[in-house]
Amino acid sequence: MKNEQFFSVGRFLVLAGCLLAMLMPAAAEARDIKIGIVDTYSGPAAVFGNDALNGFKLAVNEINQQGVLGGKIVFTTRDEQFKVDIGLNVAKELVLKENVDVLVGTINSGASMAISEAVAKKEKIPFIVWTAKSENITGKAGHRYVFSTAENTAMAGKSAAVAFAKKPYKKFWIAGDDYEYGHAIADAIWRNLKKIKPEVETIGKTWWKPGEPDLIPYLTAIQTAKPDCIIFATGGASMANVLKAIKTTGMENKIPAWIHTATDHSVLKPLGMNAPEGVMGTIQYHYYYPETAANKKFVADFQAAYGNPPGFPAFNAYTTAQLIAEAFRKAGKIDKEKFIDAMEGLKVDTPVGKVEMRACDHQAVYPMFLGTTKISKEFGGAIAADIITLQGNDVMPTCEEIAEARKQK
Amino acid sequence: MESYVTFSGLISQFLVGLSRAMILFIVSSGLSFILGVLRVPNVAHGSLYMIGAFTAHTLAVAAGGGVAGFWLAMVFAPIAVALISLVAERLLFCHLYEREHLMLLLFTFALALILGDLTKITWGADYRSLVAPPFLQGSVPVLGTPFPKYNLFLLAVGPVAAVGLWLFSNKTKIGKIARAAAVDREMVGAIGINVSWVFALAFVLGCFLAGLGGALVSPTVSITLGMDHTIIIEAFLIVTIGGLGNMWGALAGSLIFGISQSIGVLLWPQFAIVFPYLAVVVILTLKPSGLLKSVW
Repeated sequence: MKNEQFFSVGRFLVLAGCLLAMLMPAAAEARDIKIGIVDTYSGPAAVFGNDALNGFKLAVNEINQQGVLGGKIVFTTRDEQFKVDIGLNVAKELVLKENVDVLVGTINSGASMAISEAVAKKEKIPFIVWTAKSENITGKAGHRYVFSTAENTAMAGKSAAVAFAKKPYKKFWIAGDDYEYGHAIADAIWRNLKKIKPEVETIGKTWWKPGEPDLIPYLTAIQTAKPDCIIFATGGASMANVLKAIKTTGMENKIPAWIHTATDHSVLKPLGMNAPEGVMGTIQYHYYYPETAANKKFVADFQAAYGNPPGFPAFNAYTTAQLIAEAFRKAGKIDKEKFIDAMEGLKVDTPVGKVEMRACDHQAVYPMFLGTTKISKEFGGAIAADIITLQGNDVMPTCEEIAEARKQK
Repeated sequence: MESYVTFSGLISQFLVGLSRAMILFIVSSGLSFILGVLRVPNVAHGSLYMIGAFTAHTLAVAAGGGVAGFWLAMVFAPIAVALISLVAERLLFCHLYEREHLMLLLFTFALALILGDLTKITWGADYRSLVAPPFLQGSVPVLGTPFPKYNLFLLAVGPVAAVGLWLFSNKTKIGKIARAAAVDREMVGAIGINVSWVFALAFVLGCFLAGLGGALVSPTVSITLGMDHTIIIEAFLIVTIGGLGNMWGALAGSLIFGISQSIGVLLWPQFAIVFPYLAVVVILTLKPSGLLKSVW
């Protein structure tokens, strides 16, 4: 009996030893890099979430052919449903249960801010915001663990202000989605415009709930006030509705309007030849502009894989994946702090040329394209015309301004 | 700040609110009808509205997207929704009428989630847009203020739907039976009427209205996932303030909701979101059972 027991203990030890021996080289060998994606995959903003995911997938497939540090980039997704609380919960779950190395996402600025503060900063995990545009993310609420590969409201606001300063408009009306992004972009453009052209005034403001389906009553009310120009501060959820309401109310070509990302094709395409013309928009990516070889290849690959041309979220996500891969290669190992150090000042190739991750505020430097919607028979709908390019460094807040904003907070 | 509010602006805004109320009425009268006759608080009603809009788009595109496509969509999209609801009624709902309201609420909520995901699987997440025929595009001046032509069309359709519904429930035998069943279903069964098919018909009619609302609204909004959520909340509020199951209550509720929103937007744009809900709070505080007689 005793012998038998001894034998079984011995056998156990041998087995354990074998197992350990098997595990040892595995531990020393490279492992996969795990990315957790939090984004909106349901409701009206799902179109942007899916587009970003496709861009990320395309990049990851390319990257994994070579691999990163001997392993691959793998990812898992969670639907935040465009809600701050859900976004926060799934982000926590990805970090605590799935042990992701890097968090990326989301389209909701409120959710991004919450995840940045309560997950990234607290758990010391890098979080790269790829679609949400509130400048506060890398501005006054920025910190070591948060990055943004989205163009932000400060950049869009300054671009629009530069354009408006050249136009004769004086009386403005501001209308938009009543949430973080809407207010952030409205503030950004107004702050910049006031600085360049002090005589402008806002004659009224309208705020509707994000995703409000029928904007016609809002627009007809604004029309009666006869502003020179309307600034629409709407995000993904209301974008298509605004453009449609501009057309339906006959406001097109009567009252000029500006909407950031109005020239995005995922918004213009469904409207086809019935998209409103003359709406000004700013964006950091067009699949048809600039016509570089790198962009053409990206568009062709994307189109072949997903049947649609890429939108700006796909471009942002593609850039994000390149940054992640390069930063880990530069860091030399899977280490969160080393990854962050490597990200700072990193430059990667993207479809529109080199993009830098600015070291001082962790904001990707993109050029901004200002265009006006115009119907094109060739495209079967509206595209951005008369594109003016503004360089990233000219429209971004300076590192000093960022430092000042963070100090005030 | 309010100096720009003119009389003509006020009238025009009132009309916009009225046309919005027509859509709300068509959808919420269907909800109210189902509530009244079947006692089912159908949370999936909003999903059928969404499916109506998506189907309208698909039909219009399939028919070439022209004027004919538009009318085809307006007629057949609600019918398609009615057929879907008939299947749902015969397979699911007809077994559940005797259950508690809470159970039914949970069941229809689950159904709404399922239909939402099915919509996403069928149509995808892309935005869609249905184009009104050329003579309904753009705007015409009403007292000097531009007014969207399509909203004028809605102003014409709304009363037609209301009269049609009134004729059905008051002048046809089946309508009368349905109304009787709303008041006392045991009695209707006891005098030898096949209540099951009356219920099926009532359900299908209610859902047809949801589909009609979805088809009619589609030229004014972009057709997206999530349009079910907004409408179902509004429709339930309207039915509650109007009086559960009361058709005229649904009309009154829709008018209050639509007009308070549009006038609120004009007078106090920064806080426009609040107005319809404020109206709901005031009404429910003063008259908790709703404006008109509830059938419950």
